[in-house]
Amino acid sequence: MNPAFLLLAGFALVLLILLGLVLRDPRRLGKPDADLSLSEEPDRRHVTYFPQMRQALSAEDFVFLSSLGSRELTRRVRKERQRIALAFLSCLRSDFLKLWRLARVIASMSPQVGMAQEFARLRLGLVFYLHYEMVRVKFLFGFAPLPELGSLSEVVSRLAIRLETAMNELGERAALAAKLASSLDGRDLNTP
Amino acid sequence: MAMSSLPLSVQLIWACSTLAQLMVLVLLFMKGNSRKVPFFTAYIALNICQAGFLLVLYSISGISSAHTVAIAWVSECITLLAQALAATEILGITLRPYPGIWGLGWRAIAVTSALVVIVVALTSHGQNVQERLFELNRGYHLTFATAFIACLLLVRYYSIRVPAAYKMILGGFCFNSCVEVLIYTFIQILFHEGFEVHQPTWQFLTTLSFVAALFIWMVALRKPFPAEDRQIASLSDSEYQRLSPEINEHLRVLNEKLLRLWKMEARQH
Repeated sequence: MNPAFLLLAGFALVLLILLGLVLRDPRRLGKPDADLSLSEEPDRRHVTYFPQMRQALSAEDFVFLSSLGSRELTRRVRKERQRIALAFLSCLRSDFLKLWRLARVIASMSPQVGMAQEFARLRLGLVFYLHYEMVRVKFLFGFAPLPELGSLSEVVSRLAIRLETAMNELGERAALAAKLASSLDGRDLNTP
Repeated sequence: MAMSSLPLSVQLIWACSTLAQLMVLVLLFMKGNSRKVPFFTAYIALNICQAGFLLVLYSISGISSAHTVAIAWVSECITLLAQALAATEILGITLRPYPGIWGLGWRAIAVTSALVVIVVALTSHGQNVQERLFELNRGYHLTFATAFIACLLLVRYYSIRVPAAYKMILGGFCFNSCVEVLIYTFIQILFHEGFEVHQPTWQFLTTLSFVAALFIWMVALRKPFPAEDRQIASLSDSEYQRLSPEINEHLRVLNEKLLRLWKMEARQH
């Protein structure tokens, strides 16, 4: 049996599966409107909870608990805080994804899109996903590099502020375009 | 009559296909969609003309003469070209409000097509002209499906909403092409007696897959297409040029931080 035929048949099957996935109802797709709403609630961003997180996971607390001699309590607290850290990391990822999606909205609104820029962003997204999973596993095994987590939050925060400004501008443009579209629709209705 | 040398099953499926094409054409005109998608309308009309032409050709010269086969393949080339134009038209309508993404889509089609054509050329080694023509046909369908599915992936990646009717038409095209590739390849794998022996099977199955695509299109065409004057907020090119590298730089820094987290020495509290 020729392996080239099998490869072709396999490729065609993969294409059929991809087609099914692509044409599936995109309910789980991020909507541009939902992205825009992000700018309306900047205070809700998860990174803003980082000081509380740092406090909750500070090494001093563990030193103090250990000095009291309660190993069981130290272990329980560490486990509980590790769970919180994982939840925080997950929220950080969701912030990243929202911002990443915003970047795609900006690209979709642009009259000219740079292939290199878009490809670089796609690669960054994939690399982020890989790194995130690696760090998550690290947290799961009980290591919590908190100072680094702090600078991570800072980066997301800076990016968020920059994008919020951009999205506010876009929001105004979107409103203008919607107004224009509705006025065009109205004109069409009046046309015999 | 030479036409009777075709198996009854093939004749029946051919009749069904022609009927379905006529229904699609009627729907296109009845719902006023023919003006919105002239290339797609021309493609359907061309397919009907091809069916009529082949009917006459087979009746006069028979189905197996070299002359008939050559003319039939020429007519197939014309409809395949029309198919590419019709699908590009639908994709163009979908992405018209997004000129940047449309530009990217064009390049994606070109790059993907070139890559697939190279792979197909390297893997094709037909024994005779007939087999080479079939391989060429399969290569076309493979290139078509890959390029358009790549474009649909791009559309999905940028969260662009494609009207259901357009999505179904593009889906029908891609489905038909993928199934054609599968049918031909499986026939090649399963039967070693030579392709000509299984030509009726190939004809029946490929026509059946085309009929399935026609039914998808009928569902898509039951209503008039949505208005095309969709307005979206647009950025100036300079804004994209300014924002995009900045965002990428931020994302890159974020990735570096994450990588640093990974590389850090594991330490307990």
